[in-house]
Amino acid sequence: MELNSRILGVVTLLYLLLFFIHLLYLATKKEGIYRAVWLLLYVTFGLHSVGLAVRWVESYRLGMGHAPLSNFYESLIFYAWCISLIVIIMKKRLYIPLITAFASLAALAFMGYASLSPSVDRHIQPLIPALQSNWLHVHVFTCFIAYAAFAVSFLCGVFHLFPWKGIIPPKTKLEELNYRSVMVGFPMLSVGILTGAVWANFAWGSYWTWDPKETWSLITWIIYALFLHARFARGWKGTRIAVLSVVGFASVIFTYFGVNFVLTGLHSYGAS
Amino acid sequence: MSVTRSRPEDGGSPPLRGPSASERIYLFLASLRFTMLVLSFIAASCVVGTLIKQQAPPEEYLSRFSEGTYVFLRFLGLTDVFHAPWFLVLAGLFVVNLVFCTVERLSRLLKSATEIKVPNEKTLSSMGQTFFLPGKRVEDAAKAFKGYRQAGSDGRGLVLEKGRISQYGVYVIHTSIIVILAGCFIGLMTGFRGSMTLAKGETKDSFMRRGSSQAAAPLGFAIRCDDFKVSFYPNGEPKDYVSSIAIIDHGRRVEEAQVRVNHPLTYKGMSIYQASYGSDPIFRFAIDGKEVSLSQGSVFRADGLTLMVVRFEKSIHTFGPGVQVAYLEGSEQQTSWFLRDVPRLREKEIGGVHVRLQDVSDNFYTGLEIAHDPGVWVVWAGCAMILCGLFMNFFLFYRRIYLLQTSSGILVAGTSPKNKEAFREEFEKWRAIAHGIE
Repeated sequence: MELNSRILGVVTLLYLLLFFIHLLYLATKKEGIYRAVWLLLYVTFGLHSVGLAVRWVESYRLGMGHAPLSNFYESLIFYAWCISLIVIIMKKRLYIPLITAFASLAALAFMGYASLSPSVDRHIQPLIPALQSNWLHVHVFTCFIAYAAFAVSFLCGVFHLFPWKGIIPPKTKLEELNYRSVMVGFPMLSVGILTGAVWANFAWGSYWTWDPKETWSLITWIIYALFLHARFARGWKGTRIAVLSVVGFASVIFTYFGVNFVLTGLHSYGAS
Repeated sequence: MSVTRSRPEDGGSPPLRGPSASERIYLFLASLRFTMLVLSFIAASCVVGTLIKQQAPPEEYLSRFSEGTYVFLRFLGLTDVFHAPWFLVLAGLFVVNLVFCTVERLSRLLKSATEIKVPNEKTLSSMGQTFFLPGKRVEDAAKAFKGYRQAGSDGRGLVLEKGRISQYGVYVIHTSIIVILAGCFIGLMTGFRGSMTLAKGETKDSFMRRGSSQAAAPLGFAIRCDDFKVSFYPNGEPKDYVSSIAIIDHGRRVEEAQVRVNHPLTYKGMSIYQASYGSDPIFRFAIDGKEVSLSQGSVFRADGLTLMVVRFEKSIHTFGPGVQVAYLEGSEQQTSWFLRDVPRLREKEIGGVHVRLQDVSDNFYTGLEIAHDPGVWVVWAGCAMILCGLFMNFFLFYRRIYLLQTSSGILVAGTSPKNKEAFREEFEKWRAIAHGIE
């Protein structure tokens, strides 16, 4: 077993531990435990980054030499990394146990799926010529940061829809957090689509081909554009905005997974 | 995304008479409700455009749908949504809405920027974020707020602001979307795409144009493939494919370049991309002792002997590669198999001429994609603009600080319509600084 797989295995267990400590906190409500959660989150994120870096280095040793962003397995572990990154970047706003608990659960789910599913190839694979470009890094990074921010928005939307008084944070706070994360995700998705277009023009000879992945990223972009306009220009609040963020994330998930599994197209690198 | 909460429909003072029909249409076309309607329709069309396979040959649809359904889908343009007239109309309505809405709101924003007034004490106190500076002149107090500029004043107080440029971000974004769509439209109207294959050493001055009428079209110059190389990873996947091509214009070699995936060449507005590759088998025969290379379908004629390779099999049972050759025996057509690896079957006398299959080899050819899109630079300009707009709108924010002279000192109040939380922190900093000065 390669070193990166071992490190990423430990990281998966750490996300599991993180979720359990959250449960412990929610049961006892001791502030000290939540501080320990954050400490462990930093450690997990650090080790996760090391795991990605080692995988990158090991790909050079195998004579391929590419960033770990090239297939479905790598995209899953990168998505989990991006979720942690967003939580850490937005620490001041996201110092909310319920949100960090579900964020670590999401990271755990993606890591677990990546390392356990028999349909996911975990080997470092060579980079096909179309992916051999520096645009790969900026395109994938911006898209996945956007996906991670939209995941936070989704959590806020879902909690908003559940009437659990006392357990969920105040609704005004959720609302503020919801549109804050869309304010991060939307420009990132826009940059992701633009860099994708520039890259496509170099690789495929056209900046837009209505490939299913492109089309679905446009659908996602439109939904979040509607979200921002509804919020800022029409003053939508409460349930309607929460529903929009859930619909938006459903579109994100379809853009990420659905297109790979249900539809076929040029953009099927993430599928194997 | 504008900070103004009012709607275009109810903006301004109520008119004395009802709006005329054309005004009502204009207001509707400029309204956000219309934006949301059009965008929802566009999103829904996109969903349909990915669920139904687009631009596939009729047989593929007929294998999945009944003929009636197929005719219906075609009639509605659902087999090619993104080029259907109604989709272009939707895009057009979107542009109209974007232009009207932007003009409407920008003019209101510019007007409001010149009419900044200091609200009264009661309004300011209700802003939530206030503090008092006892006994100073507002002009002196204003100097403490570094980075802010004066936006308005009247006898009683001052308005300071920062980040005004972020107010225009949304209009930059909207304008860039129009620019990008204009670039797409130019490409749609004047651009074209196609492909060509070139074997090593081959020169061509035309390509197969893609679209409704698939036909050979002239390039305006010629492309020669000097060399083509494919390299593979150990697992057999392609690592790199490179065509060394030369551009020949008016009989002169004007440019030589290596075209590889992600590294196209552009000449006279035509972009040449490495898209694919393939190989054709080449058959080397010794006919009457002379070496002859034939490809499938090419005819060899000499001294009353006419032959042609009609079929090639990589392996026939366990005997290795086999080549079926058709020839004329008198006026009658005959065929015969040549097996490369079977000595007895690799040669034959045909009409008194000795024919021997020497070898079968692969002749790689390169598949190039040809694209001409004069709109692409307009699209890139729009992309650059939208990056600026996104930065202005999402990474900067507008805030205002009011200073009002009151009987008990200077009342300082602040507000930020879009980023209340970040501004609250900033305002606390101002409060601390102001109290430190005293």
